[in-house]
Amino acid sequence: MSVQWPLLLFSVLLGTSSGMLAYLGVHEARGRRATASFLIAVLALVLLAAGGVASTFHLGHPERALHIMGNMGSGLSRELIGVGITAVVALAYAVCVRAKYDGAARALGICALVCGVVLPVIAGSSFMMASRPVWNSFTLPLLYLGSGLGLGFTLACVIACAKGADGDERAFAVKLAFAGVAAAVAVAIVWVIWVAVAPYADASRSVMRLAAGDMAVIFWLGAVVVGMAAPLALGFMALRAEAKRVVAYVGGAFACLLVGSVAVRVCMYALATSVQQLIY
Amino acid sequence: MTRNIMAIDLDSCIGCHSCAVACKQENNVGLGTFYNKVLTIGPTGTYPDLEMYYLPVACQHCDNPQCVEVCPTQASYKREDGIVMVDHSKCIGCQYCVMACPYGVRTYDESRDKGVIEKCTLCAHLVDAGEVPSCVRHCPGQARFFGDIDDPESDVSKLVASKTNHKLTDVGNHPAVVFCMDNCTWIGDE
Repeated sequence: MSVQWPLLLFSVLLGTSSGMLAYLGVHEARGRRATASFLIAVLALVLLAAGGVASTFHLGHPERALHIMGNMGSGLSRELIGVGITAVVALAYAVCVRAKYDGAARALGICALVCGVVLPVIAGSSFMMASRPVWNSFTLPLLYLGSGLGLGFTLACVIACAKGADGDERAFAVKLAFAGVAAAVAVAIVWVIWVAVAPYADASRSVMRLAAGDMAVIFWLGAVVVGMAAPLALGFMALRAEAKRVVAYVGGAFACLLVGSVAVRVCMYALATSVQQLIY
Repeated sequence: MTRNIMAIDLDSCIGCHSCAVACKQENNVGLGTFYNKVLTIGPTGTYPDLEMYYLPVACQHCDNPQCVEVCPTQASYKREDGIVMVDHSKCIGCQYCVMACPYGVRTYDESRDKGVIEKCTLCAHLVDAGEVPSCVRHCPGQARFFGDIDDPESDVSKLVASKTNHKLTDVGNHPAVVFCMDNCTWIGDE
């Protein structure tokens, strides 16, 4: 299958937004509001909206987009509802933080954490189709979740540290960012293992296409070196770095993860051949 | 209850592609787009024991169509008589059904700026008028049969009962089109 760029952008932006909301939720659950929480919540909302706009470029008739509510059994319908609920939670959280409604903000922060975890899972599960063996596994929603946590945690950490988070918060934020990076790398590896063992084996969706075939450069350079090794190394360095270098290291990890997330998704589409592609 | 299906006698198919041409003419199918195509399977085996057959493929009008399941607007739907259709007035062109179809027989039609999904309708407009699909009517080998599989007296039921039956790979969608063939070895999963 050719790369569906609007959907790819949507999933990366949605994942980043979800991860940022989860970051805010973790801090609220911990009993301490994150530095720049308003800015992080608003940016998460903007990224979610941008992802929504990107996804409409995949539609032949975007003017009929509201018809998507027609079949609640469809992954796309569930995705739209999830995005709507998450956007409302993010907006309400930002308003409560701004207005200093601490109790409400804390409750909404917990909701944001739930949305931040559930939304990428819904988005990933909408691609679980029996016709596409490399997609038809729980590893795909996990891939979306892990990648979102990595992207969102690192970006939120950069913003919080750049906005003057104190020593304790900075240390926790960097640990959270490193945990997100580790999650992103782990689930990417799990998905590649699924590709290797998926049923209806075929050369078009073989793991050998990644290892030594036409996708090898994108996989090894984009997904493994830039998307896994580099963010892990930068995240590890951030754990031990002085305060003034944390933003650079975690920011670098975010940039590398972003490239890696795109590379993994390019592989995800390229390998998503159907069990019997007869006419097209 | 009527359950209309297509059964194709592969022993009688001569690979002339008349069905593909008739389909394009009847349904005004756009350039580069197909509802129906004839594939050549083989040759397989070792000389002189070689086998080859033709496999006409189109929408399999599955009993459990995944395209209908994933369609967010219910534009893809299954009629009571078993024909899977696309309501173009509801289709948003999201192409999830194209991804969900195991056979690659759906296409996103940009050829006429439609922005919707196209596929075989089993010529529902003809069926509703009491006729048979155009590919059935124009098959010179009389390899294609259409009718009610629940009626034991229908031509479809008689063909299916008389030969070895095959279906395309089933990943839970339960394809309805039956390929009948005794003279060659079926290639592929079922």
